[in-house]
Amino acid sequence: MRKIKILTITLIIVLITMVAFFGIYTHVQNRMENQVRDYSYAMDLDGSRTIRLKVSDENKTTVKDAEGNEVADSENLTDEQITQNGYTKEETPYNSDEVKTVENYRKSKEILEERFKELNVDNYIIKLDEETGDILVEITENDNTDSIVSNIGTPGKFEIVDSETQEVLMDNNDIKLVNVMYGSNSSSITSAGTAVYLNIEFTKEGRSKLEEISTNYTKVAEDSNTTTENTTANETTENTTEDSTTEESTEKTITMKIDDEEIMTTSFDEPLRTGKLQLSIGSSSTDTDTLNDYVNQANNMAVVLDTGNMPIKYDVDTNEYIKADITQNELQMAQYIMIGIAALALIILIIRYRTLGILGAISYIGLASIFLLVIRYANVVLSIEGIFGIAIVLILNYIFVNKFLNKLKENRKDLKKEEVKNANKETYKEFFIRIIPVIIMVVAFCFIQWVPISSFGMVMIWGIALIAAYNVIITNNLLKLKAKN
Amino acid sequence: MKDMSKKTKILSAIILLIIIAGIIVIATKGFNFDLKYEKSQKVELYLQQNFEINDIKEITDEVMQGKQVIIQKVEVFEDTVSITATEITDEEKANLITKINEKYGTELSADTIEIENIPHTRARDIIMPYVLPFAIATVIILAYMAVRYHKLGSMKIILKTIGMNIVTQATLISLIAITRIPFGRLTIPMVLAVYLLTMVGLTAKFEKNLLNKKEEEKKDKG
Repeated sequence: MRKIKILTITLIIVLITMVAFFGIYTHVQNRMENQVRDYSYAMDLDGSRTIRLKVSDENKTTVKDAEGNEVADSENLTDEQITQNGYTKEETPYNSDEVKTVENYRKSKEILEERFKELNVDNYIIKLDEETGDILVEITENDNTDSIVSNIGTPGKFEIVDSETQEVLMDNNDIKLVNVMYGSNSSSITSAGTAVYLNIEFTKEGRSKLEEISTNYTKVAEDSNTTTENTTANETTENTTEDSTTEESTEKTITMKIDDEEIMTTSFDEPLRTGKLQLSIGSSSTDTDTLNDYVNQANNMAVVLDTGNMPIKYDVDTNEYIKADITQNELQMAQYIMIGIAALALIILIIRYRTLGILGAISYIGLASIFLLVIRYANVVLSIEGIFGIAIVLILNYIFVNKFLNKLKENRKDLKKEEVKNANKETYKEFFIRIIPVIIMVVAFCFIQWVPISSFGMVMIWGIALIAAYNVIITNNLLKLKAKN
Repeated sequence: MKDMSKKTKILSAIILLIIIAGIIVIATKGFNFDLKYEKSQKVELYLQQNFEINDIKEITDEVMQGKQVIIQKVEVFEDTVSITATEITDEEKANLITKINEKYGTELSADTIEIENIPHTRARDIIMPYVLPFAIATVIILAYMAVRYHKLGSMKIILKTIGMNIVTQATLISLIAITRIPFGRLTIPMVLAVYLLTMVGLTAKFEKNLLNKKEEEKKDKG
């Protein structure tokens, strides 16, 4: 009966091993397809999106009036209109020679790193060419990659300017933080749903500026009486007439610009004293996909503004997916080497402990197979560090099994169940007390976003949990079957 | 015991020598970076068909004799090859293109293919993402050790753990610099291995000392 039980466990382990190493193949559309899930690989083993950011050599066209002030909405002006109005067209480079310095290149790289951190990019490499200022970025390829790429070259220049004079009233230096907020809008049937806002919080100085701006740039109401009241706060509208149309035209407005693009032109209902400004992104919606789009847009904008103004304007030169230089063949080779070393170690175990060694080896193979399946089904992303984690788990389990068998070595010919039970208890105590620092480390690593570290942490935590559970269920019982009552 | 302390002294002297030599090598020659992180040059060739990395490897071995080369497939269709080496001369580029045209029947021209410069990755950029996770883990481990081995003197345990980790990591980094093992993708796994070994070794030693201490206390009480 004991032999049948041992044989059954052995056969189950053989089956699991076959599944783990060779897979389960079924016929799918005239071809054989492995139904066992494949490993998920990180950037270093799979591939990455590689983006080359080149220092922009493009020119910016500005239209200036006779006094040298920049003309607003100049994009809509034709050459004829420019000449008629006495304006002049100027071509200025986005990146002047004074801007193209090593310090600015380094600062741009740092801002890029900040953006990646805030965008939760879990693995990236940034290389800076300090001579040309070009930046080469490698990031993980996933659903968010395109959205991230669309924002990495953006300078993130924020300005609130006087719509008329183009005088800069506020800029990036006044921003404390930018984040995304949500609000439910149930006041109107047509616009009911959730609204997404970009919340810009200003510094102490920025707060005072905003208060001053919102006082000076107050909305002029259509009602003549209200208009008269407003004029006290706004000198430019002092000479208003009763005609509301004229009053509207004299209203002072501000223009908010992000990367020299006009986001909105507005005036304020009342002075803003909170030091916060909320911009609605899109309209209220109940559709999850639409809201997700708005949230992504707002998040990207928030990150770009929050990380500061990049001193250099970059253009995306190349944007391509490049597969890892470590090929599947090389990974298989690493797998064979690991199997070879494990086989050698198991032979030593068998020579040392004879029958007990055989049972220990069978159990060890079972753990290794289940472990490889667990990694795949637990969605653990494998990086080089993760593969190293697999090797460590296999070594730790070997140490455990060896320790266990060593305690039974002396009585192996007349082994009793009680002895196996005690040996199991002692091995657990000794083994796990010694690896507590390792457990602490891997638990901490599991919470880290950086993929190579979390990969190692996740692989190790599953491995250690498996060593704890598997050996008490399989190894312990397998050895008990060998022992006498 | 006397013999043991002599061994420790010799070992300490060797470690000290390794660290000093390592510092000198890093200061004078720096690390030998993995090609992936080294300043390099790259050409991308559109082959218009699937290809085997080994076939391209044969060509690069022939054209760029003795040079370390990274060959990668580009984009989802995998019909473009990216070849990276420390330096690609115009002559090597022309020869590569000629050989590839012969093998794949393509009509690539050396005039239209540019050699791209790949900047170097700084060692600190490779290491930085790992500093915080290691620091967090170390702080928690130190707190655990200070509590678990308080009978052996918490401060002594903390200082020993920190000291031993600094020494072992410095030795490893020095060895990497001296032996010119490429600094790159395998560096962090090596650091992890040494860190794990140090922590497990220290725990084993502290456990033994704790057991001895407890036995001594028992004897004293008895």
